[in-house]
Amino acid sequence: MSGEPFKVWQCRTCGYIYDEAAGDPVEGLAPGTRWSEIPADWICPMCGTPKADFDMIEL
Amino acid sequence: MIPDEIASTIISPWAYSDGKKVDDAFTWLRREMPLEQAQPEGFDPFWVVTRHADILEVERQNDLFHNGDRSAVLTTIEADKQVRAMMGGSPHLVRSLVQMDNPDHFNYRKLTQGAFLPQNLKALEARIREIARAAVNRMAEMGGRCDFARDVAFLYPLHVVMEVIGVPESDEPRMLKLTQELFGSQDPDLNRSGAEVTDAKAGVDTVQSVVLDFMTYFNAMTDDRRANPRSDLASIIANGKINGEPLGYLEAMSYYIIAATAGHDTTSSTTAGAFWALAENPEQFRKVKENPALIAGLIEESIRWVTPVKHFMRTATADAELAGKKIAKGDWLMLSYPSGNRDEAVFKDPFKFDVTRSPNKHVAFGYGAHICLGQHLARMEMRVLWEELFARLESFELDGEPKSMVANFVCGPKAVPVRYKMN
Repeated sequence: MSGEPFKVWQCRTCGYIYDEAAGDPVEGLAPGTRWSEIPADWICPMCGTPKADFDMIEL
Repeated sequence: MIPDEIASTIISPWAYSDGKKVDDAFTWLRREMPLEQAQPEGFDPFWVVTRHADILEVERQNDLFHNGDRSAVLTTIEADKQVRAMMGGSPHLVRSLVQMDNPDHFNYRKLTQGAFLPQNLKALEARIREIARAAVNRMAEMGGRCDFARDVAFLYPLHVVMEVIGVPESDEPRMLKLTQELFGSQDPDLNRSGAEVTDAKAGVDTVQSVVLDFMTYFNAMTDDRRANPRSDLASIIANGKINGEPLGYLEAMSYYIIAATAGHDTTSSTTAGAFWALAENPEQFRKVKENPALIAGLIEESIRWVTPVKHFMRTATADAELAGKKIAKGDWLMLSYPSGNRDEAVFKDPFKFDVTRSPNKHVAFGYGAHICLGQHLARMEMRVLWEELFARLESFELDGEPKSMVANFVCGPKAVPVRYKMN
C-alpha cells in the first residue's frame, strides 16, 4: 500500500480537495493518510457532504 | 419570545450599518436565547438561529429545512403579499439556486458547478492577476489617498466576475449600479429613490424595477449566446439544459442575476472590510507583509470578519427538534451568519481580527448543499489581489471614518478612506 501513488479526492458539493499526500492536519488527518484509512462516517469539513459523495480526481 | 428591542435590532438595516449594535444583540442572544422566536412589528414570527452548531445543523438537513417554501430572505408581511400578488403566489421575485430545493437545486447547480471547481479556475489565474495588477497600478497612481472601497474593492471583483459571465467592460458601471441598487435598496446613499424606504409597496416596487432592468439586459445576452456561443458563463446558462429542456425564463434570468450581483458584491465587501480591519490592526498587516504565507489566513479571517451575507431564511418541511426546541412544520428560521461567526463556543476571542486564527471554520459561505458556488473564485480573487498589493504597499492608515451599507441582507463597507505609501 505504501508504494502506491497518493491520490486526490474531491467533494461533489463544494469542491473541497483531499490530497492523501498533504492530508488535512487541521482536521486531524496527518500527511500521508490514505482515503481508505478515513472512517466511513467522516464528512466533508467544508460542507458536511458524506465521504461516499467524493470522487477521485486527477489534478 | 425574543424581547422586542433585540428583535428589532437584529433586523434593522441601520444596526448592521452600525456594526456594534447588531454584534451586541447577537452576543446577548447567544448567551440568553440562542434559539428563540422573534416577531418584530410587521413580520411573521421566525426562529433566530444564532449558534454556529445550530446553523450547521439546519443547513446540513436541506430536505428538512427548505429554501424555497417561503421567502428565502427576511421580508415583512406586507412585502410578502406584494411579491406573491406579482408572482402568481410565489414568495420569490427571482428563482435562483438560493430559492430552490431539490431536485431543481441539484440540477441547476450542476450546470455551472464544474466551472467553479478549483482545478478549473486555475486557468483564470493569469488573467485575474492582470486585472489585479491593473487595480494596484491605478491605486498607486492616485497619489497616496483613495477610498479603497470605491476605488479598488468594488471594481476589481466586478471586473473579474463580469469577464467570467461575459459582460463587456463598458457595461460594468451599469452592473455595479444595479447591484448596489438591489442590495442597497434600504440605503438612501445607494438605492434608486435616494430616500429612506418606509413603505413596503414602494420597497418591493423598487427592487422589482431593478430586477426587471437586469432581466432586460440578460435577455438580450441569452439571445446573443444562443446564436453565438462563447466560452463564458452566459453561454452555459443560455444553452444549458435541465432534464433535456432549456432553462425556464425566470430561472435563467435569476441565474444571471445572482452571478452578476452576489458574484462580486460579497467579494468586494470582504476585500474592503479586510483593508479596514488591517488599517485598524497594523500589527496584523505587518505580519502578512512579512510573511505572505499568511495571506490564506487573512482571507479566511476577512470572510469571517465581514460575513457579507447576513442571513438566509429556511422553512421547516416537517415537525423537528433543534437544540432542544420544537420546530413546527412551516416555521420560518433565520440563519444569522454574523452571529455564527462570532460564536464564543467556536471562536476564541471572536471580536479580535486575527490573521493567524486556526482553525477558522466560519459559516460565511453557508454549509451543506447550498454552500456558496463561487467560494473558490472569491478566495482566488482575494489571494491574487493581496499578493499583488502587499508587494507594493509599504504602509497605510485610515484617512477618515469608514462607513458601512444600510442593509440587513447582503452588505459591507461602502467607504474606506485611506492614506498609503506604495513602492
